[in-house]
Amino acid sequence: MTVSAIEFSRLGPPKLRLYAMRCTDCNTLHPWWEHYVCEKCKGTTLVREQMSGTGELTNYTVVYYPPRDFLGQEPYVVGHVRLDEGVSMPAPVVGVSEDQVEVGMRVKSVFRRMKLGHEGDVYYSQKFVVDPNPPKPKKKAAAKK
Amino acid sequence: MRVGVLGIGKTPHKIQHNKSLRDLIVEAGQKAIDDAGIERRDIQALYVGNVGSVGFCFENSTGLMAVDHLGLVPSAAVRVEAACGTGAWALHLGCAAILSGLYDTVMVLGAEKMNDLATVEATSLIAQAADSKEEYFSGLTFPSGTALTARKYMQTYGCTEEDLANVSVKNHYYGARNPYAHLRFECTVDEVMRSPKVADPLKLFEVCPMTDAGSALILCREEMLRDRPDKPQVFVTATSMASGTWYAASDGLDESFDLLARPAQKAYAMAGISADDIDVAEIYNSFAIQEPLGIEALGFAERGDGWKGAADGSTWLDGKVAVNLSGGLLCKGHPLGATGTSQACDIVEQLRGTAPAEIQRKDAAIGISACRGGPGSVGAVHIYQRLED
Ligand SMILES: [Zn+2]
Repeated sequence: MTVSAIEFSRLGPPKLRLYAMRCTDCNTLHPWWEHYVCEKCKGTTLVREQMSGTGELTNYTVVYYPPRDFLGQEPYVVGHVRLDEGVSMPAPVVGVSEDQVEVGMRVKSVFRRMKLGHEGDVYYSQKFVVDPNPPKPKKKAAAKK
Repeated sequence: MRVGVLGIGKTPHKIQHNKSLRDLIVEAGQKAIDDAGIERRDIQALYVGNVGSVGFCFENSTGLMAVDHLGLVPSAAVRVEAACGTGAWALHLGCAAILSGLYDTVMVLGAEKMNDLATVEATSLIAQAADSKEEYFSGLTFPSGTALTARKYMQTYGCTEEDLANVSVKNHYYGARNPYAHLRFECTVDEVMRSPKVADPLKLFEVCPMTDAGSALILCREEMLRDRPDKPQVFVTATSMASGTWYAASDGLDESFDLLARPAQKAYAMAGISADDIDVAEIYNSFAIQEPLGIEALGFAERGDGWKGAADGSTWLDGKVAVNLSGGLLCKGHPLGATGTSQACDIVEQLRGTAPAEIQRKDAAIGISACRGGPGSVGAVHIYQRLED
């Protein structure tokens, strides 16, 4: 079991958007929507920032033996996405077959069902799909500064 | 530093449906007591490494259960948990307790009973050792997280899946010769390549099995072992722990290197030796890629070259340094809380010269064990030496 329904009511809202935590002292971005101490400068003021959701797949694996919560979804693709804002995070990639997925692929985030709970309750989270309209390199460079 | 190893004890590593967690604890602990040749009342404290009894066995307070069933009441007892580094952490705490002068004799015991649950349940449980609230939602587990590391390693250093398959071939060659190992068969590079994919590029023969096992050590002050000339004079001469990021999220090879390289450098300084002095090493390899990563972090090979020893023979029995003569976690399995203590017991056997003949390194005098857990969050290194004076 990953989370109870009550816990998911706390975790749920942040999962509606794709967030990262930015250090207000040194500007470093950290993955996820919770982070308390900056890994770079040890600053303690980090703010939640919504990501554009577009980025590049930098690594991937295809999972054939999933844990219980992902049973039935196998084989599924999970990898690392480097978002255009410059932060990397683990990411499930859907809608792409195991022999089409490749490092360097442009992807964008979507809000999808993660799994079904024990009592038919539905759990959601951010997943990634192949970006049908990849941004122009110029935009990417500007966003990365 | 010197902490005497007075006794060791271990159970076989395998699926043991006929044994409970307490059976494994009592079997390993009793063997260690017998080997040490001491009375129960001499054991002043018990450190029990166990990761998941509350999930695997639906029971908690493993340290308190162990002290009672081992007949060690009223000695101090506690359960220790640090993901896959759990057993190594129990050993670290045992050493620290002896070195502090607080205790003369302690028992360090690791045990895990994993096979009462189905593999999908167990994998979910293990995944909770990393971030089960954020990261796990991506579908990332320990096998898939490590698969990402393997792909990054191959991309960065230009080695192939076949190159890495040699690691499994070496481990299985020795695992087949270790009566205590879980998987006791040899395999070829071709068979590794043809084994089912678990999380691409990791294949079944590159993944450790779920194992039920326990192992224990009895530690004492240096003088106490010196006063027992009938006992093999094997000492722990370095114990060094470190942490890394809790998340399995990183596939960064630098972070993975630092996790073991930092405690290794401290351990070499603590023991006053260098990587060149090591005869035998037990290196954490719940997934095959972690063996070359460990070899590099311990200084046995340059970065990117760690896989070569399994291919060219330099990490085999008669090589420059013999790595995982036990068959490693790939063949012994990875009984989470017992893995660190199992590595320690196997190195002590090598230094005593009591390992099974086919996997005994001739005249082994200095050994090292390296455990990682989390898999990116715990680094643990211990050095052991046979010291006649
Ligand atoms: Zn900062």
